[in-house]
Amino acid sequence: MAAAESPSAALRRRDLCSRGIRLAGKMRADVVDLLDAYVEQQGLDASASVAAVEGVPLAAVERWDEQTGTQRLLENLAAYRAFRALLAQMLEEQREQLGEADAGLGRALAAVLLQVSAFAYHLEELLRLESRGVPGEEGDEEEEDGPPPPPRLSLFEQKLRGLGVLRELAQWAVRSVRDLRQLAKPSPATGAAPGLAESP
Amino acid sequence: MCWSLKELIAPEPVQKQPVVAWGSAGSGGKEGAKIPDLRSEGRTSSQENRPDVYEKLGTPQGLWTGGEMANPVPSACCVVLAAVVVVYAQRHSQLESHTQYERVGADVTMKCGSMDWDAAVTWTANGTDIDESHLNGSYLVLKNVDLSQSGQYSCYEGSSWHLKYQTNLRVGMPPKEPVLMCRSNNYPKGFYCSWHLPTPTYIPNSFNISVIHGTKDMVCEKDAVPKNRCHIRYLQLFSTVKYKVTLTVTNPLGKNFTTLTFDEFAIVKPDPPESVVAKPVPNNPRRLEVSWQNPSSWPDPESFPLKFFLRYRPLILDQWQHVELSDGTSHTITDAYAGKEYIIQVAAKDNDIGTWSDWSVAVHATPWTEEPKHLTTEAQITETTSASTSSFMAPPTTKICDKGAVVGSGAMAVCWTAGLVVAAYSVLFI
Repeated sequence: MAAAESPSAALRRRDLCSRGIRLAGKMRADVVDLLDAYVEQQGLDASASVAAVEGVPLAAVERWDEQTGTQRLLENLAAYRAFRALLAQMLEEQREQLGEADAGLGRALAAVLLQVSAFAYHLEELLRLESRGVPGEEGDEEEEDGPPPPPRLSLFEQKLRGLGVLRELAQWAVRSVRDLRQLAKPSPATGAAPGLAESP
Repeated sequence: MCWSLKELIAPEPVQKQPVVAWGSAGSGGKEGAKIPDLRSEGRTSSQENRPDVYEKLGTPQGLWTGGEMANPVPSACCVVLAAVVVVYAQRHSQLESHTQYERVGADVTMKCGSMDWDAAVTWTANGTDIDESHLNGSYLVLKNVDLSQSGQYSCYEGSSWHLKYQTNLRVGMPPKEPVLMCRSNNYPKGFYCSWHLPTPTYIPNSFNISVIHGTKDMVCEKDAVPKNRCHIRYLQLFSTVKYKVTLTVTNPLGKNFTTLTFDEFAIVKPDPPESVVAKPVPNNPRRLEVSWQNPSSWPDPESFPLKFFLRYRPLILDQWQHVELSDGTSHTITDAYAGKEYIIQVAAKDNDIGTWSDWSVAVHATPWTEEPKHLTTEAQITETTSASTSSFMAPPTTKICDKGAVVGSGAMAVCWTAGLVVAAYSVLFI
């Protein structure tokens, strides 16, 4: 059971959660706009179903309301780190293959990438506040001995994967807002955020 | 001679003496009939031979039961009762209950059970004989049936009136494509789907609904009320995988279906805000204070806050003004027209996803207005004037002006002059 939170820590946490909620809200709005532009410029069908792509973190979760605060933060952090890498890859592919015609799309992608990075950092701050160790990124650890890079996808496959990435990112942005609202709630017993204890 | 009710219900114990009945069985004989004295013929009672007695008296031997004889009236009653039961059983025995469904506009031919085509039969519809013009032999032919021809059709054998066939004809239509709607007004708990047929079929329909999320079948639990609704609990949240809902409607004349595909966020639509109240603000002729509550069906407004849209207009105008509010459940309108009655409504939406609710029940309110202060002064003047001019009433055009009606200093001067003239006339006539 976690010790009672100090007032300043509680204020700091609430402040971080509030800012995080605003960040996530802005990020979601930009991702939705980017998604519309992406579908149009890549010539895709907005209603097309995209199978789950390997490496894209799924926002879908069961028993969401039963998650602890730590679980929420860790899952969010892992997701946004993954999105950071995926968006960087998309941006590179965009620049290589689609050229000047889609400069606007490239800029929008870069802007979202920046927001994703900022949000990931914000989550790290929250975890540090809770005196939780911030997990290292898997990429750093496996830089030398990592798995072989996946086979290069065709242009169409890249576009479909990009659609899947952006759709999933939009879902995560909504989920993150909800997660941070849960974290911001004071616990009735201790005044600490609910679910930040080791066990629910 | 009459038998008593007691005897009819519980006949006297069997007597060994002969019972002589004059007249027909059960009639009790004729009153006043003289029973001959058998002893006068040289026979003692012990020597009485019953058959001889009956021969003498002419009583039918069938009445003699050989020492025991039941009361004939209850027996006769039983015979009649049994006959009635048999007749009824013959008419209605062994007949299955049929229901026959036919489309509006169809031609219907009914056979009279196993009766031959040329058998003489009578058909009835809801107890009323059907004209022979509708018969083809023993078959009943109904052309181009309509809804009014639904009912109980019965076929009786001509002479015996035995019921040979009976069916309940239900005229109706196959179902058209049903209308299906799914909505989550209690996010994140779950959602419900409701349906109806665009046009009635006039016969019973059954509905079957299936819900698939990805590859997973989900159970939609039917609501007791209303019947055309079922609800589903979300097993997952924040999924990009769409839900596919298929509703099939079936009746004896056909089937139809419709499918709805949607994602989790798209169907989120709260119920309208509740308890909307609008009040004037004291000493503020252009303000109205509006407050409301979250819809009670929204389970967790703290974690899933709602935002609101308020619209208002004076009754005399058609154009609404709108205000979007990202938090809170109250708002002060500051630009209301003084003294005008307003109509106000509020709608709600999840802060992040879904669509706006319907508008709330409308409330009416009028901004605060100052009470006119001149009322006391005018009353005093009126009292004074009436006391001194009891026989003279100033015409309306010379009425003393009140402050509120005066516009500009010139008009004020005219009014006071008129007032002085009236006062002068009053003095002259006292």
